[in-house]
Amino acid sequence: MQQQAEPGDGAVFGFLTAIESPQHGLFGGYLVVDGLGRPLEFHCTAPVKVSRAQQILYGPTLHGHLHGQQIGAALLAESKASPAVVLTDHDAMLHVRPHTKLPVALVRPLDGTEAAAGFTVGTARVIPHASEAADDVALCERLAALALSVDLQEPFDRIRAAIEEAQRH
Amino acid sequence: MMDKPASQIRSLRADELAIAPAAVLPWNDLRIARPPALRLPVAGTGPAVIRVELGLPRPKLTSYRFAPPAAAAAAPAPAAARGGRRVEASAADAPPQPAAVRRTRIAPPRDIVKLSERFFYLLQPDLETMLHTGKLEFPRQPFPFQLDGMAFLMPRHAAVLADEMGLGKSMQAISSIRLLVRSGEARRVLVVCPKGLVSNWARELADWAPELVVAVIEGDQPRRRWQWSLEDVPVKLANYEVLVRDRDLVAELGLSFDLVVLDEAQRIKNRSSQTNQAVRSLDRRRSWALTGTPIENSADDLVGLFEFVAPGHLSDRMAPKAMGAAVGDHILRRTKDKVLKDMPPRLNRDERIELTAEQRETYRRAEEEGVLRLADMGREATIQHVFELVLRLKQICNFDTATGESAKLDCLQAELEEVQASGRKALVFSQWVETLGRLEGAFGKFGALQYHGGMSTTARDEAIRRFKHEKKHSVLLLSYGAGAVGLNLQFSQYVFLFDRWWNPAVEDQAINRAHRIGAAGAVTVTRFLSVDTIEERIDEVLRKKRDLSETILAQAGEPVPSGLTAEDLFALFKLAPPQHRAAA
Repeated sequence: MQQQAEPGDGAVFGFLTAIESPQHGLFGGYLVVDGLGRPLEFHCTAPVKVSRAQQILYGPTLHGHLHGQQIGAALLAESKASPAVVLTDHDAMLHVRPHTKLPVALVRPLDGTEAAAGFTVGTARVIPHASEAADDVALCERLAALALSVDLQEPFDRIRAAIEEAQRH
Repeated sequence: MMDKPASQIRSLRADELAIAPAAVLPWNDLRIARPPALRLPVAGTGPAVIRVELGLPRPKLTSYRFAPPAAAAAAPAPAAARGGRRVEASAADAPPQPAAVRRTRIAPPRDIVKLSERFFYLLQPDLETMLHTGKLEFPRQPFPFQLDGMAFLMPRHAAVLADEMGLGKSMQAISSIRLLVRSGEARRVLVVCPKGLVSNWARELADWAPELVVAVIEGDQPRRRWQWSLEDVPVKLANYEVLVRDRDLVAELGLSFDLVVLDEAQRIKNRSSQTNQAVRSLDRRRSWALTGTPIENSADDLVGLFEFVAPGHLSDRMAPKAMGAAVGDHILRRTKDKVLKDMPPRLNRDERIELTAEQRETYRRAEEEGVLRLADMGREATIQHVFELVLRLKQICNFDTATGESAKLDCLQAELEEVQASGRKALVFSQWVETLGRLEGAFGKFGALQYHGGMSTTARDEAIRRFKHEKKHSVLLLSYGAGAVGLNLQFSQYVFLFDRWWNPAVEDQAINRAHRIGAAGAVTVTRFLSVDTIEERIDEVLRKKRDLSETILAQAGEPVPSGLTAEDLFALFKLAPPQHRAAA
């Protein structure tokens, strides 16, 4: 078995998500943590609201465009960090991949109906973007090291809490 | 033909008009074969163009960057466990699934208003993850409510941990200190406690934070000067008396602390006391107070406490409800009934004792003579006179001053025989050292040991050690003053209150030496009450009063002092206080 990277060896990890607020629109949040799960950077967007015309004209492409290019790409571009991988719990956020050089993967809770794609790390199922197929093994090792310290789904809770706080502020 | 511009004229062909073609005519009439042209005008402009903006606006971004956590200070390897199994918080040998089901989050306190600072706390990992990744060892797994207590303390610069006695306030404070030192948020910590608890604190620090270097400030002045000056010692431990004595020295050395923790902080409730002034004079960034009784007698106690915790935050002119609202975010108090599922049960029983015939006669005469004397003194009778009479009568309830007989002792002897037979241990409290001496003489067969303020620290520590580790000692006799505060005696299953104290809070402190986290089983508390005596009347008065701190902290009701007032004492003998008698 190949040796796992140790947590806290300098690697950083990104967590990208979006929160829908019925009142304000769509917020994006991006948290960068070290190998022990401690925060290094946090970026968030002001709420994005689309018009009815844009909804109609973009049609089914709106979701991916909004999450991936408008919000996701902007957040990743703002960060100075180079994470080993950017994890997201939003399918639509995978659309950020064409707009960044960083590996991107989807994280899902284990529910007993795991898709064939991806691999299990701790209590989560990780499904890398198709572009990451060649680096699956390395990615798995990196995330396994992180999972020694951090539940891969937990940082998204922090982002949600921070965005809720920002709305109250 | 109408006079219209050519662009507005449209020609129509015959086939468009469904005109039948003419018959073929001679060659000079061929021009007729061409269908006639009709020109009709068409009104209106070209179609309008509506422009729809498709591009989505680039969202506005806000960014925060946090300094990488400081590297943990190099520390010696943890000391060997002092008995008991150490729980390894790290899952190094376990499968890589560190996530605990319960996540204790650190929430920013209300007084942190800057969003970036609030984010700093919200974006931290949960406490369980921090403990796990920090590979922190514990003598036992913290209870969930204790993790909540740590999450409460850690982000706060001003905090009062007011948990009921026995719930592990010192453990919560020590573990929080440990995390703050690890993260670099605290490098110089001072813990101040009563003199009798210094060795207890030193033990607890060794147990709960073995990697932290601790310096106990003690000894002669040159030694203390050197100890105060030590730079690479993250935690210094001093007692209140030393702090008062070295107040000027600390100022002269220019010492400042990232955190000062006061144990049994009710000691500073009197704002004019030297102790209060000494702790307030400390240069510090964070101020934590640990006390099971933040309000012992009146709301002024809390004001005095907050002069250290958050100067200026409270005033004695505030109404109780306003005070409660002001301190709400700074005080955390849990009671055993709230966390009872984590605690063994406490069984209370009042043992009503009939005085022996001789005791009854002695008591009757003393009370009659005493009341007559008070009545004769009239306005000159002071609270001190009443107090002396009460004490004399209480002493007779313990032991007949004439014959030495004691109904209580006879009853207690029978109980202790059962305790010893079952292999258990018992604590017996009294407010008189003389009573403790008499009990020790009577209970030699139980290996009775004493513990009171008249003993040296070494002798007290030795008594605790022997009581804890030697089977032949089934009984520890303690005074309320020395034994009610801070000791961990949770291996004792029985507590006897031979005579009652004036304040239920102090009695609870005594009981909680045994009924606390880590107690092996149920704790039985027996309170002795002599029937038809001053003890019963005092008990009745105290029953009607409830702890003022519960009132203020619950932000409801009027403040009710928890001890006996002067009026209460006079009323015990159906007398009015002198000022009222003068008015009558």
